[in-house]
Amino acid sequence: MKKLLFILMFSLVGFATLLAQTRTITGKVTDTGGEALIGTTVLVQGTSTGTVTDIDGRFTIDVTGNPTLIFSYTGYATQEVRLGASNVMDVTMESESVAFQEVVVLGYSARSRSEVTGSAVQLTSEKLTQLPLASVDQALQGNVAGLQLSHSSGTPGSVQSILIRGKSSITADTDPLFVIDGVPVTNDNLSRSGASSSFNPLATLNPENIESITVLKDPASTAPYGARGTNGVIVITTKTGKSGAPKFNFSSTYGFQNDAVYGPEMLTAAQGEELFYEAIYNTYGASEGFSRSEAKQFYLDNMSEFGFSSKYKSWNEDGRPETVWQDVITNEDAPVQSYDLSVSAGNDRTNYFASLGYFNSEATVIGSDFERISSALNLTTELSNSLSFTTRNSASYSEQDGLLENSAYFSGPRTTKYFLTPAAQPYNADGSLNLANLYSNVRNPLWIAANDISLSRVTRLTTNNTLRWDMPIKNLSFDTRISIDYQSNSWKRYQNRTHGDAQDVGGYAEVDFIGRTNFVIQNAFSYNINANRHNVDIRVLQEYQSNKSNRLEAGGENFSADGLTNVASAGTPTWAYTDFNDWYIGSYLGLVNYSFDGKYVVNASIRREGSSRFPSDSRWGTFWSAGVAWNISEESFMTGMDFVNHLKLRSSFGVTGNAGIGLNTYQASLSFSSAYGGEAGITPSSFGNANLQWEKAESFEIGADFELFNSRVSGLFNYYNRKTVDMLQSVPLSRTTGFSSQNQNVGVMVNNGIELELNFNVISSQDFNLSIGGNLGTNNNEVLELAKDGNGEDINITGRWTKTEVGHPVNEWFMVGYAGVDPETGDALYYTNDTETATTSSFGAAERYYQGTTGIPTFLAGVNLHVDFKGFFLDAQGNYTAGHQVYIPWTRYIYGSDRWSFDLFSGAAVLLNRWQQAGDVTDVPKMTYTTQPWRDFNRWLRDGDFFRLRNVTIGYNFDQSLLQKIGLGSARVFVRGINLYTWAKDDTLEWDPEFQGDGFNQLTTPPVKSVAFGLNITF
Amino acid sequence: MKKLKNILLALGILFLGFSCSTEDLDPTLEQIKDISSIASVEDLSGLLKGTVDRMTDAGYYGQSFIITDEIRGDNVFPNGNSGRYQTQGSLEYIPSNNIGIWTDGYQVIASANIIINADPNELEGELNEILHIQGQAKIIRALVHFDLMRNYGQQYINGGNGLGVPIVTEFAGDDLLPARNTTNEVYAAIYADLQDAFDMMNDQYDNRANKTFPSKYTAKAIESRVAVYNAEWSRAQSAAQQVINSGLYTIIGADNYVSSFAIDNTDNSIFELAFDNVDNRGSNSLGFIYKGDVYGDIEVLPSTPEIYEESDVRAGIITVDANGKIRNSGKYPELNGYDNVNVIRYEEVILNLAEALFEQGDMAGAITQLNEITSNRGASEYSGSITKADILNERRKELLFEGFRFFDLSRNSMDIPKISDLQNITATITAGDHRYALPIPIVEMDANSNMVQNTGY
Repeated sequence: MKKLLFILMFSLVGFATLLAQTRTITGKVTDTGGEALIGTTVLVQGTSTGTVTDIDGRFTIDVTGNPTLIFSYTGYATQEVRLGASNVMDVTMESESVAFQEVVVLGYSARSRSEVTGSAVQLTSEKLTQLPLASVDQALQGNVAGLQLSHSSGTPGSVQSILIRGKSSITADTDPLFVIDGVPVTNDNLSRSGASSSFNPLATLNPENIESITVLKDPASTAPYGARGTNGVIVITTKTGKSGAPKFNFSSTYGFQNDAVYGPEMLTAAQGEELFYEAIYNTYGASEGFSRSEAKQFYLDNMSEFGFSSKYKSWNEDGRPETVWQDVITNEDAPVQSYDLSVSAGNDRTNYFASLGYFNSEATVIGSDFERISSALNLTTELSNSLSFTTRNSASYSEQDGLLENSAYFSGPRTTKYFLTPAAQPYNADGSLNLANLYSNVRNPLWIAANDISLSRVTRLTTNNTLRWDMPIKNLSFDTRISIDYQSNSWKRYQNRTHGDAQDVGGYAEVDFIGRTNFVIQNAFSYNINANRHNVDIRVLQEYQSNKSNRLEAGGENFSADGLTNVASAGTPTWAYTDFNDWYIGSYLGLVNYSFDGKYVVNASIRREGSSRFPSDSRWGTFWSAGVAWNISEESFMTGMDFVNHLKLRSSFGVTGNAGIGLNTYQASLSFSSAYGGEAGITPSSFGNANLQWEKAESFEIGADFELFNSRVSGLFNYYNRKTVDMLQSVPLSRTTGFSSQNQNVGVMVNNGIELELNFNVISSQDFNLSIGGNLGTNNNEVLELAKDGNGEDINITGRWTKTEVGHPVNEWFMVGYAGVDPETGDALYYTNDTETATTSSFGAAERYYQGTTGIPTFLAGVNLHVDFKGFFLDAQGNYTAGHQVYIPWTRYIYGSDRWSFDLFSGAAVLLNRWQQAGDVTDVPKMTYTTQPWRDFNRWLRDGDFFRLRNVTIGYNFDQSLLQKIGLGSARVFVRGINLYTWAKDDTLEWDPEFQGDGFNQLTTPPVKSVAFGLNITF
Repeated sequence: MKKLKNILLALGILFLGFSCSTEDLDPTLEQIKDISSIASVEDLSGLLKGTVDRMTDAGYYGQSFIITDEIRGDNVFPNGNSGRYQTQGSLEYIPSNNIGIWTDGYQVIASANIIINADPNELEGELNEILHIQGQAKIIRALVHFDLMRNYGQQYINGGNGLGVPIVTEFAGDDLLPARNTTNEVYAAIYADLQDAFDMMNDQYDNRANKTFPSKYTAKAIESRVAVYNAEWSRAQSAAQQVINSGLYTIIGADNYVSSFAIDNTDNSIFELAFDNVDNRGSNSLGFIYKGDVYGDIEVLPSTPEIYEESDVRAGIITVDANGKIRNSGKYPELNGYDNVNVIRYEEVILNLAEALFEQGDMAGAITQLNEITSNRGASEYSGSITKADILNERRKELLFEGFRFFDLSRNSMDIPKISDLQNITATITAGDHRYALPIPIVEMDANSNMVQNTGY
C-alpha cells in the first residue's frame, strides 16, 4: 500500500514539472482593516491559471503578457485588476455577504445563489471528507432540511435509504436520482441476495475526491431532470485541478467503532429457566395438581409424557453455564481507517487533479469488513483558443465481506444475539467450537464467521469526457460529453458442509456476476447575452442514456473437502442462470435564465423525455418548470434598511416525473423461465398495460433567503407542496386473474411542509469565531385518490401492519390495539375496536384500526455548532427525527410469553416483569407452556422520536508560518466522534431508535458509534 | 481553419448520430416474448409445462397445500423448530395471513385458460394433439377449482351461505372482478371440465411411462375424488370403475410400498408432479419440513403410529429420528424435494369406490375393495360388517401425510379432536366451525369488491 502511494506521488510530481514557466507577479491581499487575507483565490482571467494567498496574504503567480487578475475570497466582493508593467500588485478586498455569492451547482447549470429561484442545498468538501464512513451519502444526514436518510444497515458499504420531502409514490421508486459530474448514474444495490448485506454503489466513490454535493428539492431545480426529478436529485461534483504549482494533500483517519446502541438486554439462562418452570406451572399446575415450587420436579418426572423440551435438564447437568451471545458476536472497537493522497496543479492551458485513496472498515459484528482502493484523474486542457477538453476518470475496487442479514436467519450473527439461547455454549470443554448442543437450529456464529462466505467484489470504472467549443459566434458555445460508468460485482456465497444452512446438502456454493454499463452522451449549445443590465442564459441540450446489465450465476452443492468454496469443487452443480436487461432514455432539454439588474430573475425549463419502460405510444413525456426570484435587498427603497444585507423572495412551479418501475411491465408477456421435468415451460409473466406512462408530480415552492445584521444572521424559509398525479401504482388485481398486480397510472397523493434554515455568526473575529445553525423540515403526506376496481370501489392496500386508504397517509400503521394484561388472569387483553372502550382476551375477536402515524418521520431537524479559537476548532452536529412510530421486530420470538422465548429461543430480559399472580399490574402477560402464532398489535409500535449527536470534531490547525519553515502548506489534526450520544423519546425502546426508513428493523447491523483520529497536511 | 471545419463536421455528426427516435428506445427482450406469439402446438405444449410447473410451487403441491391440510388433522403437529405452520396448526388464521392456495391456484387456472381458449384452427400442428393438450389443461383447471373449493368454499361450515369460489374460464377476460359462484355451480363446472377433457383426449398421446402430465383417465380419477368429497356416490362409483376398468394401473405390493414413495412413475401413480434437482426446493420442500434437521417443523403425534397393526407395512413410513422425534420419513423422502409429488394414485380410487359402494348400501362390494388394499399391505382383511369409520381409518392409514385427513374429517362433519398437548389447537374444534373454511385472503378482499368474505372472519 505504502509503495503504491510513493509511486503515485512521484508520477504526479513528474507530471507537474512538464508544465511551462513564464513572468512572475507577486503581491499582497488585505481587507479594509489592513489584515492579511489568507487563501484568497487569484486567477488569470480567461485561463484556469491561479493560486491562493498564503498566511501573510501574499501570492506569487506566473503570467504571460498583461492579463487581468481576478481576486476572489468568500465573503468579499470579487475584484478584477488589469496588470501593468509592474511585477508587484497589492489589493484591498471589500467585504460582502457570504451565501449570496456562493456558486450553486445544479447539474445542468451552475448559478450564483442570488440567481437561484429554488432551494438547492449545497454541501462543500469540508463536510464530506475524513468521515469514518464508507459511503458519502451518509454525510447528508441532518445537514439538509427535508432530507431523511435512514440506516438500512450499519454493515460498511450498505445501501442507505433516502427520502426527500416525503414519500412521493406508493409503489414506484422513491429514491432520488444521483448525478455525478453532470451525468445521471444508476445507484441500484449491487448485492445479489436480499439475505446478504447490501452493496451501495456510492461506497465505490472516495469522498476525498468530492468537491460538493448539491441536493435539489424544488421544482425549478428538479424539473430539468424530467422523468426522474420527482424524488429529488443529488448532484455530486468531483474536484478539479487548481492553477498553480503542484499542491499535495495527504489525509489519514484512524478510528474505532462499536454499535451505537446495543439493543435489548436478553434473559440469562437462569432467568429463562425460572420462566420455564413458571410456564409449566401456569399451564399444567391446576389440571395436574402441583404447586409452583413443584413445577421443576413435575417437569423432570413427565418429560416424555408431556413432550417437554430437555433443554433445562441438560443445562443443569452441564453445570448451568451462561453465555452472553452479544459479546460473542461483537467485534469490539472495530477499526476504520483511510489514507488519501491527492495533487492539484495547473498552468494557463492545463490543470489537473489526481488522487489515490484507501479505505478499510471492519464491521462491529464478527466476520464482516469493507475495503476500497480508489484513484481518480481529472484533467482540463485548452486544445486551442476556442477548444477545451475535460476528462474525469476514476477507478475503484471494493471488497465487502458481508453477512446474512435483513431477516432472522439462523446463520446470521445478528440473529444469534436475539435467538440463540444463553444456555448454549460457544465452546466445548476441549476448546473446540460447540456445534452439537445449541438447543435450537440457530448456528454457532463463531463457526459461521470462520467458514461461511458472503463476499462482494465490486469494480467501478468511470470516464466522463467533455469537449467544449467557444463557437465563432460571440457568447455561443457547444459542449459534447461522453460518459461511461461500468459497475460490476463478482458476488460469491459459500455455506460450509459441517454446520449451517447447507449442512444437509454437503455445503453450498453460489456465484453471481453482475455487470452494468451506463452510457451517457450529451450535446449542448449555450448562449449568453449580457447587455444593459439584462443577462440571458440559454442552454439547449440533448441527452441519450443506455443502461445494459447482464448476470451470470451458478450454484452447486456436495463438497468433498473443506476450504474449497467455488462451484468448481461442488460434486453436484445444481443450477446455472444468465440474463440480459437493458433500458434507454432519450431527452431534449431547454433552459432559459433571465435576470435584470441583479434584482429580478426568471427562469424556465422544458424537457421532453422518452423511456423504454413505456409503450411506444406513450413513451415520451414533457416536463417543465418556471421560477422567479426577486432580490428585494437590491432595490433602492431598501437602501435605508442597513440591517438587511440580502433578502430574496423566490418561487417556482413545475412538473416532474417518475419512471421508477420494473422493466418491460407494459407488455403482456410470456416468460420461458420455468422448468418442468427438465423442459422449459411457458408462463404468463406480466399482465401488461398498453397505456402505461410517466408518473407526474406537480410541485410548487415559495420561499425566501435572507442575510441580516452584517450577515450575522442568515437563513431561508420554504413552503413546498408536491402533488403526485397519474401515480405509477402497482395496483392489486383480483388474484383470480392469475396476477397479483398491474402497473397503472392511477392515484393522487400530496406531500407538503415547510423548511427552515437559520445560521448565527455569534462571534466573528480574527482569533475567535462562534456560529450556530440549524435546519428543520416537516412533511405531511396524504393519499387523495387510489385505484378503483371495476365497481368503482377504492382498492385499498392492507398489509400485515399497515393500510393505505384515501384520506390517510401512505402505509399508516393499522393493527389491533393492546389493552395490557388482565390483572386477574394474566392474559393479554386487546381492544375490540378503535373506540378502545371494550377489551377481549381473544385476539381473533379484536379489530385492526388506524394508529395515526406511519413509519416515516414528519419532522426532521439538524443543529450545528462551530467554534474556533486561534488554531483550535470544534464542530458539532446533531439531528432530531420525530413524528413517526417504529415497529419492533420479531416480537413473537423475542418478547413472547410462551415457549418461543424462554424455551425454544432466547427472550428479552423485560419478560421478567411478567404477570405472576392475581393482582399483578404489568404489561407482560403470564408465561405459558404453549407456542402462540404470530400476533401483530400495537404493543410493539413505539414512538420513534430520537436525537442523535451525529458528529463532534475537535481539532487544531497548525500555524502556517511555522509550517512553511518545514515546507508544509497547512496541517490539521483532529479527533472526531460519530453518533456518540443517542436519546430516544421512548425510554423502554431498548433498540437503536434509528430504524429503517419504513419504520421496521430487520435485525441488520445497527448504526455505529465511532471515534476517529485524523490528520491532514498540504505541501 | 481547416482543422476547425473538421471539428465542426465531427460535432455535427455526433449531434445527429445520437439524436434518438422512439424506436431507438425499444428495449431488447431476451428473456420474454409477447403473449401474441403463441402459434403452434409446440407453444401449447410449453404452456402446459408451465401450467403444471406452477402446481409444483412451494405454496401449492410443493409444500404448503399438503402441509396446511395435514397439519389441521390429528396426525401431526407443528413443533416450532422454525416457527412454520403455527398459524395453520392452531387454525387461528385471519384474512391478513393470506393463507392457502388462493394466489397459486388462480395462477395455474390463468395458465390453463390460455391453453383452453386458444383456437385450435389458428395453431400449427395436429388437431388431435392440440385437443389432447387442451383436455389436459381442462383436467388441471377442474382440479385446481376443486382444491380452491375444498379450502375456501363453505360446504363444510354451518351458517354459511353456500358460496363456493369464483369459476374463472378466461385469461385476461372481461370479468376481472368475479364474484363467488355457488357451491353447486362450482361442482357443475368441475364435472363439465372433466367430462370435456375425457372426451377430447386421445390416449395415444399419453405416455404410460411418464405420469407427470394428466392422462385421459386422470379425468375420471379426479372425478371420483370430487364426487366423494361432495357425497355424490353413484358418480363416484362410476368414475372410479372406469379408471379400474381401463386396466392401466395396479396397486403397489406390500414389499414395495415404502420404497415406492422414493420412485417416480410407479404403476400405482395416475398423475404426479415432476420435481428434480433443478427445482432445488431446499427448505421449501416437503422432505425438509417433514424431517429436515434445520426445519422439520412437522412432527408426528405419538398416537399416530398406533393406528397400524404390527404387520402393516405402512407403519414403515414412520420412524424415530436421532433426536427422538417421530417423523414421516417414508413419504417425500428426499430432503431437497427431488421426489415427484403424487396428485392422485390408484389406491385412492379404490378407496373412493369402496366408500361409494358402502354409502349406496353395497357392503360386500365395499369390503372387496378395502381388501384390495389390505391384502397388499400385510394388514388384516375386513369381513362381515364394516362401518364408515373403518373406511375412513383405512383411508387414514393409506393416505397418511398426503393431505387427506383434514378433509376426511370436514366432509363427514367430524370434529378436529384435541388429543394431545402437542397440538396447537387449545380445544377440540367442533364440526361446522367457521374455521373449516379458510378466510378469503385480504389481498383479494382489497382488490375485488365483488368478493364476499367467509362467515366468521
